[in-house]
Formats: sequence, C-alpha cells, structure tokens
Amino acid sequence: MTDTEVVVVGGGSTGCGVARDLAMRGVDVTLVEQGNLTHGTTGRMHGLLHSGGRYAVSDQSSAQECIAENRVLRDIADHCVEMTGGQFVQLEGDPDEYFEEKLAGCRECGIPVEVLSGQQAREEEPYLTKSVKRAIRVPDGAVDPFRLCVANAASAEEHGARIETHAEVVAVLKNGTQVTGVEVRHDSGPGKREHRRAGERETITADHVVNAAGAWAGQLGEMAGADVAVRPSKGAMVVTNCRQVDTVINRCRPKGDADIVVPHEATAILGTTDVEVDDPEDYPEEQWEVDLLIDELSKLVPILGEARTVRSFWGVRPLYEPPGAATEDPTDITRDYFLLDHADRDDLAGLTTIVGGKFTTYRLMAESVADHVCGKLGVSADCKTADVPLPGSEDFSVLREYMDEFGLRSPVGRRSVQRLGSRADEVLTTDGPNPVLCDCEAVTRAEVRDAIEGSGTDLNAVRIRTRASMGNCQGGFCCHRMAAELHPEYDESQSREALDELFQERWKGQRHALWGEQLSQAALNYALHATTMNRDRDPAEGDGTLDFGRFDSGAPNRPEETEARDGD
Amino acid sequence: MSETEDVNDPGDVREEETVESDEFEPVQVFGDSESMDLRPGSDDCYKCSTCDTNCPVAEVDDEFPGPKFQGPEQWRLKRKDDREVDDSITSCSNCMRCDSACPSDVPLSQMHNTARGEFVSEQMEKLSREYVRNRILANYGTLARLGSKVPRLTNFVMGNSLVQTLNEKLLGITSEREFPEFAEETFREWWEKRGGTAASKERAQEARAQRGGAKIERDEKRVAYFHGCYSNYNTPAVGKATVRVFERFGYEVLVPPQQCSGTPMFANGMLEDARRSAETNVRELAAAIEDGADVIASCTSCSMALRQEYPELFDFEGTASVAARTYEAAEYLRLHEDLDGALADAEVDLDPVGTEVEGEEDGDAEFAYHAPCHARNQGIAGQAVELLDHLDGASAEDVGPSCSGISGTYGWKAEKYDASMEIGAEMIEHMEEADAETGLTECPTCAMQMEHGTGYDVRHPMEVLEDALVDGESA
Ligand SMILES: Cc1cc2nc3c(=O)[nH]c(=O)nc-3n(C[C@H](O)[C@H](O)[C@H](O)COP(=O)(O)OP(=O)(O)OC[C@H]3O[C@@H](n4cnc5c(N)ncnc54)[C@H](O)[C@@H]3O)c2cc1C
Ligand code: SF4
Ligand code: SF4
Repeated sequence: MTDTEVVVVGGGSTGCGVARDLAMRGVDVTLVEQGNLTHGTTGRMHGLLHSGGRYAVSDQSSAQECIAENRVLRDIADHCVEMTGGQFVQLEGDPDEYFEEKLAGCRECGIPVEVLSGQQAREEEPYLTKSVKRAIRVPDGAVDPFRLCVANAASAEEHGARIETHAEVVAVLKNGTQVTGVEVRHDSGPGKREHRRAGERETITADHVVNAAGAWAGQLGEMAGADVAVRPSKGAMVVTNCRQVDTVINRCRPKGDADIVVPHEATAILGTTDVEVDDPEDYPEEQWEVDLLIDELSKLVPILGEARTVRSFWGVRPLYEPPGAATEDPTDITRDYFLLDHADRDDLAGLTTIVGGKFTTYRLMAESVADHVCGKLGVSADCKTADVPLPGSEDFSVLREYMDEFGLRSPVGRRSVQRLGSRADEVLTTDGPNPVLCDCEAVTRAEVRDAIEGSGTDLNAVRIRTRASMGNCQGGFCCHRMAAELHPEYDESQSREALDELFQERWKGQRHALWGEQLSQAALNYALHATTMNRDRDPAEGDGTLDFGRFDSGAPNRPEETEARDGD
Repeated sequence: MSETEDVNDPGDVREEETVESDEFEPVQVFGDSESMDLRPGSDDCYKCSTCDTNCPVAEVDDEFPGPKFQGPEQWRLKRKDDREVDDSITSCSNCMRCDSACPSDVPLSQMHNTARGEFVSEQMEKLSREYVRNRILANYGTLARLGSKVPRLTNFVMGNSLVQTLNEKLLGITSEREFPEFAEETFREWWEKRGGTAASKERAQEARAQRGGAKIERDEKRVAYFHGCYSNYNTPAVGKATVRVFERFGYEVLVPPQQCSGTPMFANGMLEDARRSAETNVRELAAAIEDGADVIASCTSCSMALRQEYPELFDFEGTASVAARTYEAAEYLRLHEDLDGALADAEVDLDPVGTEVEGEEDGDAEFAYHAPCHARNQGIAGQAVELLDHLDGASAEDVGPSCSGISGTYGWKAEKYDASMEIGAEMIEHMEEADAETGLTECPTCAMQMEHGTGYDVRHPMEVLEDALVDGESA
C-alpha cells in the first residue's frame, strides 16, 4: 500500500495542471513544491497567452497548439485571462518579407488575423510610434499565471488531491529499477505554511512519480539517476507602473531580444532576453538587460522611455534538448515540450518527466502526462480539463453584472471581481466593514483574509493570490496591513517574520528600478518604515523580542501610569 | 514673497506643458475623442497622501475617498474598455487644493475634471434631478444673462422664500442661501456706455501723460480684461475698479466678447458646455494677444481656468498662448508696474471702516482677507495682504489657509450645504475673531460664503486699489 498513487514534483503551471488532470480522473495525487505555488518559472514569466503568432513562422506545430489552447483557456480560465488582443507591428525599415511570412504562417496555423494600416494600429494603440508601417492583429491575450496555478491546485484539492507547498524533494526513493516515492523536507508543517513552526522530513511512497520540476528537472532526474539535459536560459522582464498599452504589442521581426510588451493587470511588462545559465536558482541579474528592454521597446512605444518602472524580474526557461542535439545558440533550442518515459529511456520504472513547452500549453502538456500515467496505472478515465471550468471561472458572465453589490467603489469592485471571478460572492460578502488594504491594486481585507485561509502565514502566497503589494508602492503602504491580518490566528513573532519575508521579496525586484519616481518611492517607503516601525534598527542589537506590554493601549493615560513610566 | 515670484518664472512651464511631446503624441486614447488617457500621470504619485490631508472635502465627508484615490489610483486601475468612474467624483468640489499640495506634480485636478466629465456624460442619468440641477448651476452665466435683463424682477422672485423652497424641493438647490442680486446695469452695459476701448485708450494716454511726462511715449500698454460672469451681472463695481486701476497705470483696456470661464462646468463635469465656452474665450483672447495685449482677470477661478484647466483639457489653437499670458489683475500690476510703490504713496479713507482698535488712533479700515483656493494655486495667496501693508489707511488680516467651503456651485447643492458650512467653519470663525467687520477676497463665491457666514460686507482688492489710486470718475 503506498501513501498516494502519484506524486507530482513541482507546483508550476505544469505540475498543477497534471495534479488537476489526474485528480479529476479519480487518481489519488500528492503535489509537492519546494516554495509556494509558482515559485519557479511560472511565477516569473511574461504573462502572454500566446495566440501562436510568435511561432507562426518558426515552429508551426507549437503555433497550432497555442491557438487551440488559447481558445480552451478563454473558456475554462476566464477569470485568469484578459483577451486584450495583440498586434505584430512592422516599423518603417523592418523587412516586408517577414511581415508577409508571418501573415501567411498565421493563416496556415488557423490563427485569425487582420492587417491594420499604420493609422489603424495607432488608433487602437495610441502610444505606438508614428513610424508604424502596418500591423497584424492576432488574438493574443494576457494571463495571470498565479491565479491560474492556484485555481488548478484548488480544483485538484476539490478532487481529493493533497497539495504540499514548502516541501522540497530531497531524495527520490527507489527499489532497484523501480521508483517508489520521494522524501521531502517540510519547511514548516506538513500542512499550511506557518512561520516559526518546525518542519520535518516525510517519506511519501507512490506508484508513480511525475517530474514537473521545470528548469530543475535535471536535478530531480539526477536524484533518480536519470540524465535529463535541461538547458536553463534566463530572460529579463521590466514592469511599468501603469499600462501604456492595452493590447499585446510584438515587433514583427525575426526573433530577437526585447520585442514584446504585454499589458498585465494595471501594469505593462516589457520583455525579454535569452541567455543560457548554469544554475536555475543562482544566476546574475544584470542591468544591461533592463536597459536593453527599455531602449529597444521605446522604439516601438516611445513613452516607455519615460515611463516609471516599478521592478524587474528574471525567469529561467526550462529548455530541453534531446540527447545529441547540442545546439549552440540557446535561442535556437526548441520551445517544444517533451515527455520522457524513464522506463523506456533509462530502464527506470515509475518515473515520468515533463519538461519544456510554455505556459499557454500547460493543459495540453498535463493531459499528455496524465494519459501516459493513467496508461501505466491502468486507469481508463477521460481527460475533462478542457471542458470543466476552473474554480473562479464558473458562470462568470452572470456574476459580472452584480459587481456593484459588494459595496465597493467602482474600480475596487471591478478589479476584485475580475480577480475572484465566480468566487467573488463567497469571498467579498462580509458582515463587517471591508476596507481596502492595498490601495494600488484595490485589494480589500476580505480578499486578503480569504487568501490567508488558503496559505497560512505565507504572505507571498497571499500576494500572488490577490496582487496585494504588487502596485506602485511595492508594498510600502500595505505589507504591514497584510501582516496585521495574520493576527490573532498567528502570533506577533510569526506575523513579523512573515512581514519581513514579504518586504524583502518586494525589495528584491525594485533594486533594478531605482531611479526617477521609483527611487522617490523607495526613499519614502524607507522613511516610513524606519520611523514608524523601527525597521532600520540595528539587527545586531537586541534579541528581537519586543515587550509589547510596555506600549499603552492608545487610550488616554491614567495619571498613576504616567508617573510610573516617568521613572524609567 | 516667493509665492509671487514663482509666477514670474521666465521659463514659464505652462507653455511647455501644453506643447505635446511630438514623439509620443497619442492619437486618441479612450475611443471617444473627448476622453484623455491620464494613466501615465499616476507614474508621478508615490502615495504620500499629502493631497488627502489637504482636501477640505475629505476632512468633513467620510464618504469621500479623497484625491489620491480619485486621481492617480483610480486612473491607474483603468483599462481601455473598462473604465467606469466611481460616483464619489461628484463630491469633489474642484477646489484644486490637492493640486498645489502634491509634492510630485501629479495632475490631480486634470484627473478629477476628466473623470468627472466622463462620469457625467456616460454614467449620469440625464433626466435626473441632480443632472438638471447641476446643469443649471454650471450654466450660471446663461441664467444670469436672462435674469439680468429684468434685474429687479429676478431679484424679487429669487429672494422670495417660496421660490427658494421650491428650488430646494424640485432642484436640490439649498434654500439656506440668498441668491446673489443682479445689478441694474451690467459691467458690459457700463463699458459700452462709457465709450468702450476708444475711451479707455484716451484715459490711458491721459494717465501716461500725467505720470510719465511726454504724451508720445513708449509702446502702448494693453490688457484684455476677462471679467467673468459675476462681475458682469452681479458686481460690476469690481469690473469698473479693475478697468480704472489699469487705466491709471496707463493701460488701454480691451473687453473682448467672452463667455463663462467654464469653472462651474468643470466642477459639474459638464465638459461639453465648458468646451463651447472655452472655444469662444480662447479665440477672442488669442486675438487680443495678437494685438499685443496680455490677459487679466479679477476672478481667481477665471484666471485659473484660462491658465491651467484649458491647456489640461482642451487643445484649441491659441490655448497655450492664452494660458501663458493670463494673469490675475493685481499680480500683473505687481509684475509690470511699481504697484507697491504707488500704494506706499497713497492713502485711503474707506467707508465702511473696521472697528477702531484700542490704542491705535489711525483708524485703519480693517479687512478680514480670505485667500481663495484658486489664488493659492496661482501662488498669490499672500498678495492682497502684502499690498494693503503698503497702504496707509487700510490693512488686511489673513484669516488662514482653510477653504471657504463653497467652491463655486458645491455649496449651493442641498445635499452638500452642511459639508460646505463645516468646511467653511474655520474661515468664518477666524473672520469673526479678526479685528474687522468687512471681508476681502478675489473670488465671488468665496465672498458669498464669507457674507453668508458672518453677515459682513465683502469687497474685492481691486475696489480697495481703486479707492487708493484712482481719482473719482463721473462716467
Ligand atoms: C522569461 C520567460 C518568459 C516567458 N513568457 C511566457 C509567456 O509569456 N507565455 C507562455 O506561455 N510561456 C512563457 N514562458 C514559458 C513558461 O513560463 C514556462 O514554460 C512555464 O511556466 C513552465 O512551467 P513549469 O511548471 O514547467 O515549470 P516551473 O514553473 O519552473 O515549475 C517547476 C517547479 O518545480 C519546483 N521544484 C524544483 N525542484 C524541486 C524539488 N526538488 N522539490 C520540490 N519542488 C521542486 C520549483 O520550485 C518550481 O516551482 C516564459 C518563460 C520565461 C523564462
Ligand atoms: S479638488 Fe479639492 S475637493 Fe477635489 S479632491 Fe482636490 S482637494 Fe479635494
Ligand atoms: S500628494 Fe501627490 S504624490 Fe502624494 S499621494 Fe497625493 S497625488 Fe500622490
């Protein structure tokens, strides 16, 4: 008897998708993830729901998969997707032939296209440069990877799966040539993350292990004794404060760096670069990448040259090369996904690796893994993930009409409902007052509390569920409000640690945006936190415990007390 | 002091701001041509909340979320196809205090004005009582034109308490306030009768001859006077005083055809109405500028509209040059003439005079001066007090930096009346504490509030300057 039928390693889009698919087919699944959900590449991607247009010339089978999955996701993940539409923009001087190839390629792949004149393109996107010659309109969209992963995980849980975050696989268990499970190290728990609670090791036995560890898949393979040649390649992205474009803007040129801007929630994200790295966890984040993105993309959208950027971040592509390919330039490595049956390949039963691919096709990848694993397990259920909406995307259209009912101000209510989708009613209906905790992104207390229920003291997990602290102040004005919501369920020291962790995470991305307005913001955040929370205290001083009894309650002092205090 | 100097900045930024950077000049942003994309304006906001702590409405109205939300936050959360405006925008009185409070140049009032315009044109029920009432209040100029045809009748009817009750019941216009009386002769009627520009030219020449020596002298000095509705229909004495003071300094005054500056229309989100008026005003004033005139206004909200709101909201030809060359009347004289010196040489004996202060024998006329918010925005909040400091026989005491609370049409709305009085309470209290029983301010609606709150007479600084500097005119 094993603990579970299948262990899925990796809580990115692929792993969450696999867990949902298997769980919906009635398989008992446990998903383990070393960080929070989307800790890996999924939480550090561009947010483009591909129409397939980007691959229409170079890789038509990927393009066809993209347009098919694009349609599926609009349906099943309505609340994670914004169908912004996109343009492939040709500037004066960009090659005509490529434009024609792109157009023909899209048509061949069944991607609906429309050619826009320069004027039409600029009417649709007013901040485009005047030197737009023409553009191809494609059904690109924006997708929130966090929400989508969380919804997949939630659906898996509803179907009986166990989801363990902050649980790192430290060993793959084997019995001869049969993989029999994994050993994990819980950071805190098992169960929901809770700061300052001791973790433990746990052995989870299973009939089958799915390696969905993305750029880490090679390392996991190593633990099992299989060679998985992942070639991680980093890409940089820059987040602007507000949306300069409301549709996805691609430069219509043969592939190159810095050629796409994606609107994402209240912001726009510029991307990207492509540089091979050794270690997916530890690689340099370089300023030239940021400068390149801004310089190149302001040729397309000139206002970007002046725009405030709030942070930059990097992700690593989990590119995979079949043995013997040895491609020189990482940009030439295929973007396709690979399913590795280690029983066939390495004579190692009970282990399947899924690697490569893209976010947009996560569901398809998950389906093929689930088919494969079900075959091994002798389960004959069909895949339902293309038809059954994710939690949050059920009956969403009906709900959109009721947005005003939660007593929230217009943009707050609208954004909240867009994030929560069909869960809005359940989350936002409260008895008491429901103040806005994160002003920048319009996140209310009810939404934050709902997220805490799902993720314990892990405020970064609250952040990705709600977007709280992801706006222009980058948490300066709301991290502590979020942390305050942990109390009284969690105690002061836990809340404080959770706050520090979130605040550090927010700071990390801002380091590459410290000029102009964001520098003012950082200075103001610093001053506020130093003067009101003593966060600039010397860390070497004191033992970190505060005597809260010495603070008064805020009520007027009684005279005896004042006297007593005078003596100190 | 430095406040007035700011305005004299040679590298006048207003001109720059109105010239769009060619590089990223947007074609058209939110679909319909009227609405602008102010999302990039949110880049400047670092959320310090200084605007919120300076907003007089937020201070008294717990339901009002304040300028930070109303402006940068709400704009940032907008999307092209999803940009409903929260109805709280109608509670902003457009005092523009947030604008001058912001340390980071966020275009707050432009954001409010644009959002309010959008709200009114797309989300407000056009047959609602509120819309009708606001439309009427916003178009005060039109109302006044009709009313002043038969001033005595109008004054009688509007003063009638039955009519006031009906106004409140039917339209939501508060019955607490007395309608301003219409003058029996409008400023323009007076101006025409007096001989218009030709007469003004003559007077200016005389003044120059008297003071400057030679009759044929340097370039002609010329100003185009934007009098606004109120000094035309209700307080022509202010208009006359302005004309005379400028003539006294040798300026030929032009009074171009003009319509409402648009201030009450902005405040009520009636941007189409404002656009029509602004178009006429810009055309006429730009023509006067072509003729070598600068533009002066005696009402600080009018000069504010011409200087800041027009270029923020419209792009008629000439908008930028009108904005760059418009001044508040006294501000202009201080920049170009030795107004302070002239006042130091002068003396007034004003009636009614303020209370005699014990121990002081000179019996100066004392004024309780309130600086209108829109004067504050133009950097001239300290001007009137400084001017009277130079003048023997009159002095003014600043009653503090608070907002009067009426903000044009805001305080006329029945549902806003209480908030309006609460905002104004500080000013009224300080007026009562001051050693004066006459008020002084540049803004006609602040004057209404001052009068309403204290019962004092309220004068315009130009009237005091006239008393001090101009020998009687019989025309
Ligand atoms: C810069 C960039 C931009 C991109 N933009 C787009 C885009 O716009 N659109 C698109 O469709 N695709 C895009 N992609 C591709 C897409 O992001 C990835 O293909 C996809 O997110 C991969 O998901 P995954 O689940 O396979 O991997 P990951 O998200 O990396 O998930 C793997 C997870 O495994 C966990 N893990 C690793 N080792 C262990 C262990 N020992 N124990 C437990 N857990 C472990 C990791 O913490 C990680 O969370 C982009 C990629 C990059 C790099
Ligand atoms: S214009 Fe005045 S009332 Fe309106 S938000 Fe600004 S400060 Fe407040
Ligand atoms: S004062 Fe200016 S910078 Fe500060 S919160 Fe208000 S708009 Fe933002």
